[in-house]
Amino acid sequence: MTQPFGEDPRWFQRAVFYEVAVRGFYDRNNDGTGDLKGLVEKLDYLEWLGVDCLWLLPFYQSPLRDGGYDISDFFSVQPEHGNLADAVELLDEAHKRGIRIIADMVVNHTSDAHPWFQESRSSREGPKADWYVWSDEDQRWSDARIIFVDTEKSNWTWDQTRGQYYWHRFFSHQPDLNYENPEVQEAMLGVVRFWLDIGLDGYRLDAVPYLYERDGTICENLPETHEYLKRIRKEVDALYPGRVLLAEANQWPSDVVDYFGDGDECHMCFNFPLMPRMFMALRREQRYPITEILAQTPEIPEGTQWGIFLRNHDELTLEMVTDEERDYMYAEYAKDPLMKVNIGIRRRLAPLLENNRRTIELFHAMLFSLPGSPILYYGDEIGMGDNIFLGDRDGVRTPMQWTPDRNAGFSGTDFARLFLPPSMDPVYGYQAVNVESSLRDPSSLLHWVQRMIAIRKQHPVFGVGTFEVLSAENPSVLAYMRQFEDDIVLCVNNLSRFPQPVELSLAKFQGKTPIELTGKIPFPPIGELPYLLTLGEHGFYWFQLVDSQ
Amino acid sequence: MIPHDSLVEALSRFLPEQRWFGAKDQTVTEVLVEKTEVLFGEFPVLIRVEAEVVLQDNSADRYHVLIGLRQPGDPAIFLEGKAEAVLGEFATDLGPAYGYDALRDPELALKLFELIAPDLGQPERVRAVAAEQTNSSMIYDDKYILKVFRRLADPNIDIEVTGALWSIGFHHVAQPLASWNSGESDLAMLQPFLAGGTEGWALALTSLRDHYDTAGDPAEAGGDFAAEAERLGEVTAEMHLALASALGTSKGDVHSWVRLMHEQLDRMNHPEVDFERARKVFDLAAEVETSGPALRIHGDYHLGQVMRTDKGWYVLDFEGEPARTIEERRMPSSPLRDVAGMLRSFQYAAMAAMQVSQDQPIELAESWESRNRQAFLDGYVAIAHPGQILPADLPSLDLLVKAFELDKAIYELGYEMAHRPAWTAIPLAAIERILSQA
Repeated sequence: MTQPFGEDPRWFQRAVFYEVAVRGFYDRNNDGTGDLKGLVEKLDYLEWLGVDCLWLLPFYQSPLRDGGYDISDFFSVQPEHGNLADAVELLDEAHKRGIRIIADMVVNHTSDAHPWFQESRSSREGPKADWYVWSDEDQRWSDARIIFVDTEKSNWTWDQTRGQYYWHRFFSHQPDLNYENPEVQEAMLGVVRFWLDIGLDGYRLDAVPYLYERDGTICENLPETHEYLKRIRKEVDALYPGRVLLAEANQWPSDVVDYFGDGDECHMCFNFPLMPRMFMALRREQRYPITEILAQTPEIPEGTQWGIFLRNHDELTLEMVTDEERDYMYAEYAKDPLMKVNIGIRRRLAPLLENNRRTIELFHAMLFSLPGSPILYYGDEIGMGDNIFLGDRDGVRTPMQWTPDRNAGFSGTDFARLFLPPSMDPVYGYQAVNVESSLRDPSSLLHWVQRMIAIRKQHPVFGVGTFEVLSAENPSVLAYMRQFEDDIVLCVNNLSRFPQPVELSLAKFQGKTPIELTGKIPFPPIGELPYLLTLGEHGFYWFQLVDSQ
Repeated sequence: MIPHDSLVEALSRFLPEQRWFGAKDQTVTEVLVEKTEVLFGEFPVLIRVEAEVVLQDNSADRYHVLIGLRQPGDPAIFLEGKAEAVLGEFATDLGPAYGYDALRDPELALKLFELIAPDLGQPERVRAVAAEQTNSSMIYDDKYILKVFRRLADPNIDIEVTGALWSIGFHHVAQPLASWNSGESDLAMLQPFLAGGTEGWALALTSLRDHYDTAGDPAEAGGDFAAEAERLGEVTAEMHLALASALGTSKGDVHSWVRLMHEQLDRMNHPEVDFERARKVFDLAAEVETSGPALRIHGDYHLGQVMRTDKGWYVLDFEGEPARTIEERRMPSSPLRDVAGMLRSFQYAAMAAMQVSQDQPIELAESWESRNRQAFLDGYVAIAHPGQILPADLPSLDLLVKAFELDKAIYELGYEMAHRPAWTAIPLAAIERILSQA
């Protein structure tokens, strides 16, 4: 199937992504749960916002014990979300508006309700007996860490039916597929082809580091895992050019880059360590948490891109910070122990930033200008809050707040039927924070975000330009230069809650005039002396450097 | 190139005007030009001069001056507003010319780079580091920094120590890439420029600003500095261990250390200092049985001499205290002298920030200082285990640190009385606190 876009196979390097939970976005058939048809209805809003690509959380058939990441049928849509025809309609409607769609795909494991697993557990001899990882003892690969430390005690769980232990890196109801088995490898390639054939623009590959297990290792990032991912990539390149693979590998930057291969593995990887460090830099009012991790981040191959984000559907993950940093982050951003879950903090952006409009803007300004493609999380563009009293990570997955009306305008059903209650918080609840009111208010965060996305899209340099941190004596100021051909953009961010001066050595650009990008205001030309700027509290500038008239 | 007499006359006027001139409180009795060397013989000309300056107390210092010469009428824009950088007009071998501090001239500064490091390619831009006291540093393309020594000493301690530390594998100093020498004299050192770095002092003030605004427990403040202080303590200990293995150790002579403390105290006169108790602090230190070895130390260690970069802390400038003689500066001593220097710096930072954020209770400064002192010491002791380069037991360590700190505070008091009377309260408060704990 052809995609109705231009020929640029590297579109993802310049795209603005938007992560959306179908379940929580818009309920078209009023059954209390969001659906694919509902998403179709809201595509105009997303087009207006400037989104280039949606990332859908899993919408496949699932017992929903892990938000749909426990898939029981890879080839069908969860009935309350719609059906295959709805998926096709969504892809067509999105493509008409120039919006691409990628979706989560869980390759590491299935739900224990999946027929494959049911068959595998039922007999040690049957054709699917080896599709999962079985063992008589539960001590093997004991160096592999337990990821969901709050709920799981071991990576092995006893199965009474088969009389053996099965391996699972996540919840015990999510048995890991056995990639040693060539049939499993083939079956999963079939899954990958299926949705691309329908017109999906790519996958966000969930939990990729854990596909294989090997004795004497921590069972992460193994060479065999990379081999298999390369195989998927080859298939995509051959049959579906222009589609994208985005890897979820929550690892240190030096390990994550392996998932790009030599440009022959995943097109994109999330930059996990960057995000918690942005919060840390803000609290410390100094740039080093950010510049340090960027300095440790290796170059990535030509034709690949980082995915960067402020928040997502999971907790603010603290696996990739040091212990000292983790304690610090807990102390600063999770004052209520309920806010912690697993190794992270389950909050949305606005409450994490104490609903401070200036810091929310500063964070978006950095998100839109640091190296990588920005990924917004639904609702953060209007400043939605979280509900920490809901279980697991549901607190950040409440319904999108469309209007101040019943059920936040998300659904016309009875309140009691909603899959999760919308936020009714006096500050963040739907009566105070919703799309309708934000659209009416020209100074709303929503309008601001929309404008910034528009500016970003005028400057490919934000997506593909080089990145260079500039020296500044003032540790509270983070300044960097983005450059792509003759598009040169200077970004200056004040991480302090006090106004700050900064002198930048811009002698290389002597004679150029900085044009402030939001208002096209020319600033004094750059001369021989260090360039002096003053920034308001948590202020930022984006300047394009142009030749002086 | 320049007639000797007019050069001497110009230098006699020029030298005392320079920021890096060390004896501003004395009159110059004589300037002797020891050596001149023409580095570039065509306009713009570059000449190197070594001159001995004799002072009224008959002591002498050797200075290093780089002179640029341009023809009258050549508009040297780089000299605009910098009258102190001009030496005046000379009748030179090439005809009339005016002379000036050549490091202000980008063209000559760039040529100088090529002379010193011909293998590193030709830089495009150069800028001078502002606010320097004893040397003149030039930054090339934000990649290299060339430190041109103004007072000559053989060998230059900065080159000696930085080189020794780097070659033994202590890489929290900027690597010496090239040095410029003439005969016995070290003239300049080229190092990579630590781009993106911030002085420890500025970083500490950032933390203090947050702490004073929050006005709570410093451990709870977002800008908490303790983790930085602890890592700084670790790097400091690594530096001392590296100094010990690179330049050797000798038996620590606690009696001579304490004797110097007493001597300094004798020279001090301030009504608010309780001399009796101060002597007691020193004498208690003298009774420590295992004082740890003596080794080459940094000698002028404080938050302004360390730089936070994306790769952690770097230590700068190993020249020691400018007021001391070269022999004194090269003398092995207790590493705890550096430790005490940094501890004093925490108090200075806390108080300096307080002078900016007025109306804050002094307890806030004290709580920040005490938290970061402890973190620094924890980091230090974790690496420099007691018994290695430290006294064998913690009580002895404590007595020695206290004595060195008091000694440093007394030195600071003398300095502030002479130069910044408004700041005497800072060392006085420290002296008072140390004595009240004794």
